[in-house]
Amino acid sequence: MASGLFTRVTEYEGIAEYRLESNGLKVLLAEQRTAPVVALMVLYRVGSRNEAVGRTGATHLLEHMLFKGTPTYNKRKGTQIAAVLQRQGAVFNADTWVDRTRYYEMLPSDQLGLAMHLEADRMRNSLIADEDRQLEMTVVRNELERGENDPARILDERVWAMAFREHPYHHPTIGWRSDVEGIPTSQLKEFYDVYYHPNNATLFVVGDFETEATLAMIAEHFGPIPRSTHDIPPMYTVEPPQQGEVRFVLRRAGQLGVIEMAWHTPEATHADAAALSVLDRLLSAGVTSRLYQSLVETQLTVDADSNSWQFLDPGLFTIEATISPGITHEAVEQAIIATIDRLKSEPVSEKELQKIKNMIATRSIFLRDSPLGVVSELSESEAVADWKLYIDLPRRVAEVTPEDVQRVVRTYFHDDNRTVGYFIPKEEQ
Amino acid sequence: MTTDRSFAARIRRYRLENGLILLVLENHANQTVSVSGNLRGGEYLNPPGKAELAGITASMLSKGTLRRSKLEIAEEMESSGARVGFYSNNFTLSISGQSVSHDLPLLLGTMTEELREPAFPADELEKLRQRTIAGIRENQDETGVRAYERLSQIIFPEGHPFHQLTGERTIREVEAISAEDVRRFYDNHYGPGSMILSIVGDVEAEKIRDLVERHLGDWRGPTPPPVDLPFTELQSEPHKEWISMREKANCDVVIGHASRLRRLNEDYIPAIIANRALGQSTISSRLGLVLRDEMGLTYGINSSFSESGIADGPFTIGVTVAPTNIEIAIETALKIVDDFIANGIRDEELRDEQSSLAGSFQVGLATNGAIAGQLTSVELYGLGLDYLDRYPSIIRAVTVDQVNAAIRKYLHPEVATTVIAGTFE
Repeated sequence: MASGLFTRVTEYEGIAEYRLESNGLKVLLAEQRTAPVVALMVLYRVGSRNEAVGRTGATHLLEHMLFKGTPTYNKRKGTQIAAVLQRQGAVFNADTWVDRTRYYEMLPSDQLGLAMHLEADRMRNSLIADEDRQLEMTVVRNELERGENDPARILDERVWAMAFREHPYHHPTIGWRSDVEGIPTSQLKEFYDVYYHPNNATLFVVGDFETEATLAMIAEHFGPIPRSTHDIPPMYTVEPPQQGEVRFVLRRAGQLGVIEMAWHTPEATHADAAALSVLDRLLSAGVTSRLYQSLVETQLTVDADSNSWQFLDPGLFTIEATISPGITHEAVEQAIIATIDRLKSEPVSEKELQKIKNMIATRSIFLRDSPLGVVSELSESEAVADWKLYIDLPRRVAEVTPEDVQRVVRTYFHDDNRTVGYFIPKEEQ
Repeated sequence: MTTDRSFAARIRRYRLENGLILLVLENHANQTVSVSGNLRGGEYLNPPGKAELAGITASMLSKGTLRRSKLEIAEEMESSGARVGFYSNNFTLSISGQSVSHDLPLLLGTMTEELREPAFPADELEKLRQRTIAGIRENQDETGVRAYERLSQIIFPEGHPFHQLTGERTIREVEAISAEDVRRFYDNHYGPGSMILSIVGDVEAEKIRDLVERHLGDWRGPTPPPVDLPFTELQSEPHKEWISMREKANCDVVIGHASRLRRLNEDYIPAIIANRALGQSTISSRLGLVLRDEMGLTYGINSSFSESGIADGPFTIGVTVAPTNIEIAIETALKIVDDFIANGIRDEELRDEQSSLAGSFQVGLATNGAIAGQLTSVELYGLGLDYLDRYPSIIRAVTVDQVNAAIRKYLHPEVATTVIAGTFE
């Protein structure tokens, strides 16, 4: 029995966690037989958070390189990774973010073995050739240029760069342009050899599969890969307290002004995380939300959004809005501050709080409609803490009180902890 | 109890006395339900000088009813996590909703109230107008939007639903839309006679039929005639235009021409397969394999018959590049299309695309929302309840000759228009 090769660590809400004893690979299985489809994902605990000066964007560029092939899957043999997956009608991709890199496929369930073989293969056998890196660098540079076309995105990049001075959340995941252009292939290879090992990965399988057969398949494909011979290096930089407001202006071509405000908030596992998630939805989910009412309904802005960025290390709570023609940034900023201040002085009603709790609970039910939706949410929790965080979110949210919301607003939303950026469209010459 | 798992056996189709078609598929795998639907109320019905009127009318449905304000309705819906929304396409008013199954009566109740008793309050119209205009201004700052907008003006005559007016012109027309215009558009076009409603999820078909009958059975309203547009003639010669914008690191290039391909053309599936091989996927189709994978010129290159449906849309190739790579990208892309036309699809390439299309069909039907959307589309085009069952064999039956004939019929780079938007030296 293949299951003898695994330690069954725990089972929680229909999701079983195993550890492959030979190499420490963490495995999460959730059977969901709604359609003849299965989703597979490999998550590596490496992101732009692990990048030092001169190497920004390395994690993302490496992610691109992992589509360039292995001795088994490559263009020369007509087995290029994308083509092989495309042939099965798979939905597939990879993405890189601050704390993690993920590779995933959703495909007909009889093709699970293919996805597994491919992911196991590229965990250690990717070619990462210099001629491929040179071509892929220009692909990534065009991806970066596309982002640079959008002033709101540049503003957001600057907010993070201003709010974080020391911690690597300072730089964007896609990297600084000259780093992307300059990083040598040898450093990408080094990155690969440091972080891409079964003991630094979690494998997710969700959908239409049979557990025993799938464990056998995992053992066959991932079992032979040895554990890393080194410890995975920890990232130890800590962002010190901000000690005073940071404020800046971005001026370039564009149509409408944008404001983004940010406050440092704690890591995903912190006791205040659930209350901050509630606060986020309270501020910007739907027509009834506080910011929609104070900014959009009053026609100060065209939209209003907030995000509680909860990462492995302390992140930010951000609010951004696109400003209506003829309205000043200052007026919008005042309205945002007034909305926040009201939450400091008046606790939210139980009724309003209950609405938010229902919204969060229903959203997690909707996400379970698709295997890829489940994998996506589970993996984000796994990247910042543990997959059970996702399962527990509705329960932790249910425990949030009006006092908790008031307390987190009072704790984190003070002037010295704030970064404010204005994008002001430059007049035509 | 039937053991037949085919779609044809599981779909319940009801026709209400007023013409509304209801399709229900029970799926008890999880406790959610998805709603999809449409009726003839799209942008093609806009009177001259009233761009965006269909879209504004659709959005105004959610801005309050004769019984309740926008905020009262939102309060109730958001508290349950249910949602229902209306938006307009070129040819239809589309309806989309989702809830946990026990909230379906709430969802359908709200949908009915908004659809049948909209109040169209003047202050809400004013707010919507300002947001719409700001949205258009923001869009005008995007290279891709500007390139496609210009291409559509060259390919389609003014007044055609695919002809996009300039941003400034659209803004002027939106500024002139009155509450009476919205009311008149609603009165003249909205009704159950052309309405399709698909409901998929944890529900019981008979109960849903009764519920929909109660809500919409006595609704009366006009039924606009089916869309009747002539096919758009192919351009007679190639054309190139540059749209200069400020401070754009990336340029968008769009190459295209009238396609004369509609969903109900008999060679629609061969044409779609041809496009998949040529350019549907940036990372595995012919265009992407060369321009992205081999040459590193772009993050994204795609080709598509994106609007081929009720009417014939354009065939387009879109690529994003740095300004220095514009010419080489265009030249290379056109060379690849020429070669595709001259030499056709390869045997193994067709087999790969057939397997890919069949697989992605299976993967694409993994959610209630996706199934509901497919049911609505099958009904809209009159393909028959067994179409989803037949689809895999339809794909398998396509031959190399059929695909090559479709390539020669639908791809015409020799008369394509190229529009480039970005910042140039």
